[in-house]
Amino acid sequence: MTKPGIGVISRRLLLAGTAVLASAPRPFAATATKTLRLATGETDGVKGTLDPAFGNNDNDAARASLVFERLVIPDASFSPQPQLAVSWKPDETGQVWTFALRTGVAFQDGTPFTANDVVYTYRRLLDPKLGSPAAAALSQVDPDGIRAVDDHTVEFKLRSPAVEFPLLIANRFTYIVKAGQTSEQLRAAGIGTGPFRVEHFVPGEEPSVYVRNEHYWQPGRPHVDRVELRGIAEESSRVAALLANQVDIVLELPLRSLQRLEGNKDVTIQSARTSDWYGLAAFSDVPPFDDVRVRQALKLVVNREQYLRAVVGGHGAVADDTPVPPWQKYGLQDAPRPPDIAAAKKLLAEAGHPDGIDLELYTSAADSGLLEIAALFQAQAAPAGIRVTINKAPAADYWSNVWLKKPFLVTNWNARAADEALALPFLSTGEWNETHWRNKEFDALIFEARKTLDDAKRGELYAKAQRLLQQDGGAIILIYADTVGASRANVHGYRIHPQKINHDFSDVSIDT
Amino acid sequence: MSRPLARLIGTRLLLSLLSLFAVSVIVFAVMEALPGDTAQRILGRDATAQALTVMRAQLHLERPAIERYGDWLTGVLHGDFGTSLVARRPVLPYITAHFSYSLLLAGIALALHIPFSVGLGLLGAATRRDGPIDSTISAAALLGMSVPEFVIGIFLVSILATTLGWFPPLALIDQAHSVPAVVSTLFLPVLTLNFAMTAYVLRQTRNAMFDVLRSDYVRMATLRGLPRRHVLLRHALPNALAPAINAIALNAGWLVGGVVVVEVVFNYPGLGRLLVESISFHDVPMIQGSALVLSATYIAINLAADVATMLLTPKLRVR
Repeated sequence: MTKPGIGVISRRLLLAGTAVLASAPRPFAATATKTLRLATGETDGVKGTLDPAFGNNDNDAARASLVFERLVIPDASFSPQPQLAVSWKPDETGQVWTFALRTGVAFQDGTPFTANDVVYTYRRLLDPKLGSPAAAALSQVDPDGIRAVDDHTVEFKLRSPAVEFPLLIANRFTYIVKAGQTSEQLRAAGIGTGPFRVEHFVPGEEPSVYVRNEHYWQPGRPHVDRVELRGIAEESSRVAALLANQVDIVLELPLRSLQRLEGNKDVTIQSARTSDWYGLAAFSDVPPFDDVRVRQALKLVVNREQYLRAVVGGHGAVADDTPVPPWQKYGLQDAPRPPDIAAAKKLLAEAGHPDGIDLELYTSAADSGLLEIAALFQAQAAPAGIRVTINKAPAADYWSNVWLKKPFLVTNWNARAADEALALPFLSTGEWNETHWRNKEFDALIFEARKTLDDAKRGELYAKAQRLLQQDGGAIILIYADTVGASRANVHGYRIHPQKINHDFSDVSIDT
Repeated sequence: MSRPLARLIGTRLLLSLLSLFAVSVIVFAVMEALPGDTAQRILGRDATAQALTVMRAQLHLERPAIERYGDWLTGVLHGDFGTSLVARRPVLPYITAHFSYSLLLAGIALALHIPFSVGLGLLGAATRRDGPIDSTISAAALLGMSVPEFVIGIFLVSILATTLGWFPPLALIDQAHSVPAVVSTLFLPVLTLNFAMTAYVLRQTRNAMFDVLRSDYVRMATLRGLPRRHVLLRHALPNALAPAINAIALNAGWLVGGVVVVEVVFNYPGLGRLLVESISFHDVPMIQGSALVLSATYIAINLAADVATMLLTPKLRVR
C-alpha cells in the first residue's frame, strides 16, 4: 500500500545483492506458547477491517479467513468445495438453489450457527444502505429471494439462472457473520465460526492478535493457540524477518528475487500457479482504440515471453488476451500467438495510421510490475511505429483516479474462476469494465453459458466468448503470475492458494 | 531566569500559536486541492458508484470545506481532535501512540548522536587541520550522509541481522518488554539514523572549533601554558557549540517526523509513517492532528536550541 516516494526498483536491485549474504537465522522471538506469526506483503494502516463486506487487501483477507468461514470455498482448481454448507442442489432451471448447512457448528461466542445467519449475511451484503462492493459482485442474487427453509436449509432464488452459482458465492465478501452484528461491531470485533477469534484488533495497530476458538467444529483444530498478524510492505524487510525467525509465514514474496531463499534449509517456499493476470487496458470506444484494427495491432506487437521474464522472473505463464489460463476450467488450449510486427504495421496502415501512431500509456508503482510492463511495451511497440509516452501516476491515486478514467493503462487482476474472470471486467454492464468494451454477442454468450446445464456445451460457449474477447476486446492480457509465499521449515499444514485471498490456517502447526 | 530569556520564551510561545493555526489552514487547503477523496481512497478498486455514494454520505464529505474546517477547529479548541475518517475512531490515541514511539526512537538516536558527532568534530579539530585523522573522519561522515537511509538500513540489516544475527531486522517494538530488549530492537534503526545525521553536526563543530582556536583568547590561554585539553574543552568548546546546537536541533526535528523511510524499512510505528499513510488515505483529521503535533515539536526543539545557545553565549544573555 503506502510506500515512501523513493526508487522502488533501485531498492529491489540492491536487495538482490545484499541478501545473498543471508545465512543461518538466529532465534529472536523465542515463543513459549504456540503462536503463529503471519506477515502479509502490504500495510493497510488504519484502513484495516475485519468486516468481510469491506475487506479489500491482503491483511483484510487474512483476518477474515482466521475468524470467518463461507458456505462454499474454491479449491485450487476453482471447483466449489463445502465449508459451512455440506451440499447444494439447483432446481431444473438453475435459478433456485438450495443449500444444506452443516449441523453442530457454533459461533465463537457459543451461539449455534443456523440458516438465519446465512440469510442475514447475504441480505446485509446486498443492502444498498450498506454500500458494500459485494452488491456488484453478487448482482445475480435477489435479496428478497434468500430464505431460511428450516434451521439448516437456505434457498437462494436468483434473478436469472446460474449453473455455477456455488462458485459465484465462494468470493471474498461472503464470509458468514453472526446474525444481528452491526457494521461497527464487525469492523474490529466480528464473530464468526472460524478457527480463531479476535483477541485484539485495532485498525492501524500491529500486530492484530487472534486466539483459538474453543467451539471450532473441526475436531483437533486449530493446532496453534495464538495467531499474530502484521503487514510488512518493504520486501527486503519481510524476507529478513523470515530469515531471522521474527515471523513464521510470509504470505507474499517478491517473484524476482526468489533465488536467494531457494536452498535455505530453514525456509520452505510455496508457490502456486494462478490466473492473476497483468496486461494493458484500452478504452475501445475512444480513438484510436475504437478501431478494432488498432486494438489487434497492439496485441500483435507484444512479445509475451519477455514480460514473463522481466516482470515475474519467469514465475508464471504467458497469457493470450484471455483471463482464463489453459489449465483452469474453460481455458483455451491454443498456443499463444507470437509477435508479428509486419502484420501490426499493416493493420495500423489500414486503420488510417500509415505513419504510425502516438499513444499515452498510464502506469504507476501501485503494484509491483506495472512500471516494468509500461517500459517494455514502449520498447516493443516502437518498431511497429507505435510511439508510446509513459505517464507515471502517483501510486496512492492510481486505482481510484486513473484506472477506469484514463483510456490506456497498465492493469492487473486477481485470480478468479472463469465466469467471474470474464464477467467482472468484460460484461457491457460491469462496474469494472476497464476497456469500455460493450459487445452484445459476448454478453449473450456469458448469459447463455450461465444457464446451460450441459458441461460440454457450456465449455463451448465460454470458449466462444473468450475467442471474441481475443479478437475484438480492448484488453491485452500478457502474463499470469504465480503467487509465492514462504514459511519457516518447522511450520506444517499451510497451503498457498492460487487465489491469494483464500487461506486456511486451521491445519497449520508448528514444531517446537 | 534573566529577562531577555523570559522575553524570548514568551514571544516565541505566542508566535507558535499563530504558526500552528497557519499550519492547520495550509494543511487543510492542500488536502482540499489534492485529487480524490477519502471514500475513493478507502474503496480503491472496489469503488462502485453505490459504494462511493454511501460512504461519502457516512463521512459527510459532501459538506462544504469551510464548514468541515470550522467544525474541526471548534473541536480542537475544546480539546477534541476529531475522529479518523478511515479508522472511524478518535485520532488522539493514534497520534499519542505514534508520537511516543517516535520520541523513543529520537531520544535514543540523539543520546548517541550528540556525544558521537560533537566528539568526532572535536577530535577532528584537535588534530591537524586536513590532516589524515581530520580528513578520514570528515570523509566517512559525508559518505554516511550521502548514501540514502534505506540503502544503509538494508545494508546494516543484511550484515548485522541476517548474516551475523546480532540484532533483529525488524524493530518490532511491541515485542520489546525490557530496557535491554528495547535497545537491541532499536539498535539498527538508531545506527542507520546516526549515519545520516553525523556529518552536519560534525562539520559544524569542527569548523567552529577551528575558528575559535584561531581567536586571540584561545591563543592567550595557550600562551599562559594551560594544558591543551583544558584549552580545548573549557575555553574553546563552549564558544564553538552554538552552530552545532542548531544543527542538532534540525536533526531532532527530522527524527520525530521525517524518518518515514527508516520507519518503513524497520517496520516501526512512528509519527512520520502515520502522517504519510494518512495523506494517502486523505484522512484529514488524522493529518491535521499529526501535523500539529509535529509542528509543535519543531517549535519546541527550536526554542530549546535558542535557549541553550543563549545560555552558552553571555553576549546574548545581557543584551
